[in-house]
Amino acid sequence: TGGHTTEILRLLSCLSESYSPRHYILADSDKMSEAKIRSFEQKRSETFSDSQFTLDRIPRSREVRQSWTSSVVTTLYSILYSLPLTYKLKPDLILCNGPGTCVPVCISALLLRLLRIKRAIIVYVESICRVETLSLSGKILYYFSDYFIVQWPELKQKYPKSVYLGRIV
Amino acid sequence: FRFKDSLAEDLRRADLVISHAGAGSCLETLEKRKPLIVVINEKLMNNHQLELAKQLHKDGHVLCCNCSTLVETLQSMDLSTLKPFPPGQPEKFALFLDKVVGFQ
Repeated sequence: TGGHTTEILRLLSCLSESYSPRHYILADSDKMSEAKIRSFEQKRSETFSDSQFTLDRIPRSREVRQSWTSSVVTTLYSILYSLPLTYKLKPDLILCNGPGTCVPVCISALLLRLLRIKRAIIVYVESICRVETLSLSGKILYYFSDYFIVQWPELKQKYPKSVYLGRIV
Repeated sequence: FRFKDSLAEDLRRADLVISHAGAGSCLETLEKRKPLIVVINEKLMNNHQLELAKQLHKDGHVLCCNCSTLVETLQSMDLSTLKPFPPGQPEKFALFLDKVVGFQ
């Protein structure tokens, strides 16, 4: 969604073409991100001729401030949806920036790892907006990601297993 | 003006921006090197939105006020005290990720 898409595209901006093909997963309710992504990929294809990407949508796992009990239900529904998608894509690397949408995808990837079907590296970059506290996605994925990146020193202090590279977006 | 696709053009022409504490608004404005006054409405905001505004203010990149002190802030502000906001460095992320993945 919105700010997350902008952040993630900035994170992608300096990646080499070895990171290909790129599979974008969006929430079904997200209206604006698709245009931003297509524009980014369009520009990219001007430099890298063989640039490939796909775009898929999954049900949004949680609305802002949605209640706990209904969040569990909607997240489970999103997992049911994202599991076959993640199985189909079998990513080597999953990069996420914190919207609720990333949690079911990461959980799916962990399930595939448990079942020894595919081992993806999960890299989570907490949003630049998070200076002192982690987002809910961050709190969950701090324990389940392979690399957890924060962008402010205070978070590095609070979450010692995280990686601090300064501001990267 | 409700929901424009992009404020980039308006931002380019502005001499001063007064904004709510949304991260996108703040960062976009600072990157365009425009002076920014962030108006904080604690009743409306999530705590986490406040985090970034507070930090930017602490680091001297923005002026802060609330709705009732806005006029006073505008009258007494000294924009020369604002420090420029250095851009983020996605190249550091690329270097890190290359190592992680093994593309060195």
